[in-house]
Amino acid sequence: MQSTNIIQIENLVKRYQNLVALDHLSLSIQEGEIFGLLGPNGSGKTTAINCLLALLKYDKGTITILGKEMNPNSYDIKKQIGVVMQNVAVFEQMSVRENIDYFCGLYIRDKARRRQLVEEAIAFTGLEDFTKMRPKKLSGGLLRRLNIACGIVHKPRLIIMDEPTVAVDPQSRNKILEGIVELNRQGTTIIYTSHYMEEVEQICTRIAIIDHGRVLATGTTEELKQMIKTGETITIEAIALDESLLAGIRGLPHVFDLSYEDQTLKIRLGTARHNLVRILNYLQEQDLSFGRVFSELPTLNDVFLEITGKELRD
Amino acid sequence: MTVYKGFLTITRRNIHMMFLYLAIFLTIAVMVQKMTGENTADFEQVSLDIAIIDRDGGELAQGLAGYLGQYHTLVDLPDDPSIIQDRMFYREVYYVVTIPEDFQKRCLEGEELLPVTKVPGSNSGFYVDQQIGTFLNDVRIMEESGFSLTEAIDEVMESSQEQAEVTLIDKNGFGGERPIHAFMYQYMPYILISILCYSMSYIMIAFRNPDVKRRMACSSVPARSQNFQIILGYATVGIAVYGIVTAMPVLMYGKTFLNDPNMPGYLLNSFLMTLVSLSLSFLIGTLVTREEIISAIVNVVSLGMSFLCGVFVDMEILGKGVRTFAQFLPAYWYEIANGILAGNSSLSPAQQTSLYTCYGLQILFAAAILGVAMVISRIRQTT
Repeated sequence: MQSTNIIQIENLVKRYQNLVALDHLSLSIQEGEIFGLLGPNGSGKTTAINCLLALLKYDKGTITILGKEMNPNSYDIKKQIGVVMQNVAVFEQMSVRENIDYFCGLYIRDKARRRQLVEEAIAFTGLEDFTKMRPKKLSGGLLRRLNIACGIVHKPRLIIMDEPTVAVDPQSRNKILEGIVELNRQGTTIIYTSHYMEEVEQICTRIAIIDHGRVLATGTTEELKQMIKTGETITIEAIALDESLLAGIRGLPHVFDLSYEDQTLKIRLGTARHNLVRILNYLQEQDLSFGRVFSELPTLNDVFLEITGKELRD
Repeated sequence: MTVYKGFLTITRRNIHMMFLYLAIFLTIAVMVQKMTGENTADFEQVSLDIAIIDRDGGELAQGLAGYLGQYHTLVDLPDDPSIIQDRMFYREVYYVVTIPEDFQKRCLEGEELLPVTKVPGSNSGFYVDQQIGTFLNDVRIMEESGFSLTEAIDEVMESSQEQAEVTLIDKNGFGGERPIHAFMYQYMPYILISILCYSMSYIMIAFRNPDVKRRMACSSVPARSQNFQIILGYATVGIAVYGIVTAMPVLMYGKTFLNDPNMPGYLLNSFLMTLVSLSLSFLIGTLVTREEIISAIVNVVSLGMSFLCGVFVDMEILGKGVRTFAQFLPAYWYEIANGILAGNSSLSPAQQTSLYTCYGLQILFAAAILGVAMVISRIRQTT
């Protein structure tokens, strides 16, 4: 099945005086994807989303959504977009149901249809027992679910979720993630930004890593992992390794990086066969006793670290 | 009309506060009106406990004692300053006149003032001063006209028995009295400012929440339509509050109010005050970002303006400085207009000009406050 581009961003430039927030950013997102936008704080994720939603004017470039150029007056496009902000954006003075109904009303005029959609959104987010409560009375997790309900209630074709699981307990987070996958299964395209690498890895079908306002890499999790040198990370608990021994390990084939901290040796190796056996043999030859040994395939965190040179939460 | 309905939903959440302010207003209006409104045309003489220390003992001194005795209760007191002070301290006597020797020569012919001792801060003491002055002046005039001292004193005593009939000129169709509904209209700025500023600021803060604004900006309802619906919400609440405060004098005073020829004037004046209050509420809602402080700010604004502009106390009682300052506040012009309407049933051209000036100034205040609020709002949006 041939998929169509739902979003096309080309050479987007956004400057705040001397600071370049977006530096010729280009992206294309296809219908039916859960597209992850990964980047450290200040990398340009939120700026990109604000430009995408026509909340910010940009200096250069084009944004096309559903085949039409996006601008502040593109109400026919906006009608098909749902937004779940990083901060909970609801009215404190309204109940859960009133809030969902209000934000649904900004898209759907028909009363009967709206009533049905509100009920569906309440059921989808599991807020049935809290419909009469005011947001102040809700827990953090429930509040996030309300925030999501308000963003998805009108059943949009495209949903933009900006860190929807921040400050949510693991149980609620799992519910939210399951919900997002379910929305996608129903045909909704989702753009998802998060600080939590494992979330992105778990649900996103394609990911873009951005930093300094530029896209550094795009692809599926597997494609991204293949882009980096790390094929395997071996962790060994060992006491008192001296510098000459570490230099010896560094000299072994396919080893390109190692660190030794808190009596834990971490070796990064390129993709090759028998990496672990080779390392263990070397340690035995040196008559070195060691404890537990782990071998891990690269994670998205490794990808991020290698591509951007920093941890996501830096 | 989702935004409009949302506006009204949030308004409904504050309705208890509106009724609370209305209850306060009604209580104040009815209480003050009971205290002052029913007695504006009555005059009652005050009788004090006074003492006369007569060191002269002459005919004029006895005449004065008799004259004052008609109005006050004379208390016997020895000529001892410490006893006088004690008795005054315990309020057993409020006023002590010491008649010196050679009273006639010194005070009647020589115009020397009588030494008197009064309770500090006593308004009634001033009244006794006036009576003493009247007695001495009358006797002096009689004597100069050829009467003997005895005859002069008798004449003054006799004329003091006569009561003058006073009739108030009926300039406003209410027998010269302030119409009862005018009191309610006098206090109306307080209720309008309180209710509208409180409820509107609360709503403004809700709609100005940056996250909610962003979400609404992403929706398919055009920004212009959203703004229009918010303005419509403002107008609806403003009209509803105006309707309620207008219904109160109609319900409470019925025909008295409806038959007042100045009724349209009251309605227009309070309508303009509603516009001013709406502008003010928009300004407060623009400046304030936290719900917790709305109540405090609204109280400062509504009570402050009410006290400075003669809403709670008659403007005549206010100091000159306060009145000068109050001219820079819209409620002052409302009260001036209210005073003109309350005091006259038919307005002279000069009064009409003053009234229209007051109306015009209220419109200008409403526009100016709204303008300032919009400028602040725009600056905040761009920074």
